[in-house]
Amino acid sequence: MSGIKSLNIARDALLSHQTAINLTGSNIANANTPGYTRQRPVFSALNPSVEISKIERIYDKFLGVQINEQMHNLGYGETRKNELDRIEMTFNETEGGGINELLNKFWNAWEDLSANPSGQAEKQALVSVSQSLTSMFHSYSNELFSVQNDVNTQIPFLVDQINNYASDIADINARILHTEIKGANESGLNSLKDERANLLSELAGIVDFHYIENSNDSVSVFMSNGMPLVEGDQKWELDVVTENHTSNPSFYDVIFKDDPDKEVINNVITKGSLAGLLDIRDVTITDYLSSLNTLVSSIVSEINVQHKLGYDTNQNLGEDFFDATKTEAKNIEISAVIVADINKIAASETVNGDGGNASSIGALKDELFMNNGHSTLNSYYASIVGQIGQDVIDANRDFDRHTNLTNQLTNKRESISGVSIDEEMMSLVRYQTGYNAAAKLFSTADELIDTLMNMVG
Amino acid sequence: MRVSENIKFNTIVNNMFKSQDSYNKLAEKISSLKEINKPSDDPIGMNKILNLRESRTSIEQYTRNMDGSESWLTITESKLSAAGDLLVNARVVAIAQSTATMSVETRSSEAETVQQLIDEMLALANSKYDGRYLFSGTKTKEAPFSSSEVAATIGTAAVADGNGDFDGTVTSGGVYSGSVNKTYVVKIVTDGEALADTTYRVSVDGGKTWSDPPSTDLVDGAPITLGDGVQLTFTEGPTNDLSENDIFYIQALAPGYYNGNSEEMSINIAEGTSFAYSISGEAVFTDKGDGTVDIFNVLDKLKGALENNEPDIIASCIDDLKAGSDQISKNISSCGSRMNRLEIAKSNLVDLDLNLTKLLSDTEDADMAEIITRFSMKETALKASYATASKIGNLTILDYLR
Repeated sequence: MSGIKSLNIARDALLSHQTAINLTGSNIANANTPGYTRQRPVFSALNPSVEISKIERIYDKFLGVQINEQMHNLGYGETRKNELDRIEMTFNETEGGGINELLNKFWNAWEDLSANPSGQAEKQALVSVSQSLTSMFHSYSNELFSVQNDVNTQIPFLVDQINNYASDIADINARILHTEIKGANESGLNSLKDERANLLSELAGIVDFHYIENSNDSVSVFMSNGMPLVEGDQKWELDVVTENHTSNPSFYDVIFKDDPDKEVINNVITKGSLAGLLDIRDVTITDYLSSLNTLVSSIVSEINVQHKLGYDTNQNLGEDFFDATKTEAKNIEISAVIVADINKIAASETVNGDGGNASSIGALKDELFMNNGHSTLNSYYASIVGQIGQDVIDANRDFDRHTNLTNQLTNKRESISGVSIDEEMMSLVRYQTGYNAAAKLFSTADELIDTLMNMVG
Repeated sequence: MRVSENIKFNTIVNNMFKSQDSYNKLAEKISSLKEINKPSDDPIGMNKILNLRESRTSIEQYTRNMDGSESWLTITESKLSAAGDLLVNARVVAIAQSTATMSVETRSSEAETVQQLIDEMLALANSKYDGRYLFSGTKTKEAPFSSSEVAATIGTAAVADGNGDFDGTVTSGGVYSGSVNKTYVVKIVTDGEALADTTYRVSVDGGKTWSDPPSTDLVDGAPITLGDGVQLTFTEGPTNDLSENDIFYIQALAPGYYNGNSEEMSINIAEGTSFAYSISGEAVFTDKGDGTVDIFNVLDKLKGALENNEPDIIASCIDDLKAGSDQISKNISSCGSRMNRLEIAKSNLVDLDLNLTKLLSDTEDADMAEIITRFSMKETALKASYATASKIGNLTILDYLR
């Protein structure tokens, strides 16, 4: 019965080409869908007919891993870059008006006082320039603290996001595990995998992890210390705790929610934007603050030491000029005694009211107090600004480099998995021709059967 | 390479962003006229800028200090040359009146003239500038010269105001045997329950340096000797002790007209360079310290001799008056050489400031010619990427299928 057989062959061919055209349509429709992996029908001969044995998802497994690694670096770099940009704005002294300028004015006020040691105007000017200097230190350190706090409040949100992504990935794993794979469902399965790959790449921007594609098509995700986040349809959540952090009890630390010991795992998070936040909060800003505090405590102690060697207007030995109990940038204050009575400023080297001590204090600006006797107070501050500038450059360079790498890898991925309209149009023409031919086969077979029937009839 | 739709799009868009970014950075430099607009534009340059600004501010301050000293020296010089003229007048009187032909009447009437000269001289020696006495050393709030000669004096023991709440008594005593005026300062080193447990330390230069030993026990009621015959007696009060760093000071004056001290006031005129701008009255008008002729003493002697009609003594004053004139001239030339030093230091600073300004400008100011050239290159690049972007997807196989 070759006529009937031809009909069957034509039917299979029609169906297969119809499926192929549908797939092409799906590719064209998703030409601009981010992360979409193009699909290709695999025709296999089913002697003498044809079937689509498989819908192939065209991708490079290792490229996916590489892209995710770059996403870790990119997330980390981007976070650092954004926060450092903000810090840099505070320390931007290109227009003047910052600590550098006020320190200079502070020294000059002492020089002016040395030229006229009994001048009330000079003393008043010294007190007010000192107050401007201390309040400038306050505002710099407040700005650093507020960046630090903002960074801190972002941490629980990111941990929530990690949990959501992990939960979504586990969910997709479950759907993949419980779906009958073969046949018509395969296209749907492929889109689940695409979705999961997108989730992994989003998660990779937040935190670093390893992942394995299991033989049953599920993926397992592990933190860098080997603790699992997702295995099959199981997921483990992260959580944040406060009151643990050494420098500030309101700082969040990351833990595994199920860990009975609540062991802090900040050190396990080395890349991604979460690591960037932890790094900015615990290392970068902490360093800047400690440099500022070193500067402030040197200013306070060196000025006080010299001030106490002199005599005030009433022939008393000088007391502390700066409040000796407040030696940090956030709280440096000119002594309340001096503010209350400017005649307590010890400008004189002797009880006779010369300006020698004011002169000596003015000359402290050239003393190499900082960096083990290698820099002055002013140049130490200039080096803090330089350091911040350099850190911003490094962060930008790092970010640019990883952006370029990510772009290259993404292009490589696109080159393999992305949709080319030109190619799809060619496929469309090809499948259409196949379809047309199959249809012709059908009608020919039909005619053959008709002829046969007529002969019989 | 297979080129997918996303690759075409991403490549164009990424390159467009890059062009826009460098275009905007240059635009910022052009609008601000600065090469460095934030520390990360050039951290080393920024560091340099801050250090250069500090140097320039110091130079401004040093210049201001020098301007102040220069006016002080100018005033000092004019007062000194006026004093020199007075001495010349006095010498003219002395020479004229030392001859035997002069009568008692002329001499006694010239005594009046000399009194005028003395008053004038006292006014000059007690002149003030900017509210401070020019010739009192560092005791600028005290008139340096008295109108008549005073014997060696030990001032009362002054308690620095607000000096704890010691309710005992402190009295000075003794006879001052020093040759120049000094300010003695006693500082309490350790406070004890009783005076006997209290230790002190002495300074003979107003509290600048402290003599050894670093601490000596006080004795209740008995005088302690500070040096050169100056004595101080502490007597215990009913309740309150001395406390650490309590200050007591005594002005000890050598015999003569002078109440100031031999110190000179100084100011910073460069890093690590201090410049003494005042001339102490001791060196100008007295025979103590750097001085050799007691000018007020000679004038008083001349006036006395004129009143008492003593030609020999009048004649002996001529040489002293000459020596006094020389002493004043010496100090005038000291003013001159100090002003020269200031001039040189100032012109050095002007040169330095010019150099620093140039360095600062080289570091922070934008080189407009260069930047605008780069800017137009970037503009071309940006235009090209826009032109390309507008053509994305214009050419596909669709145009040829029908």
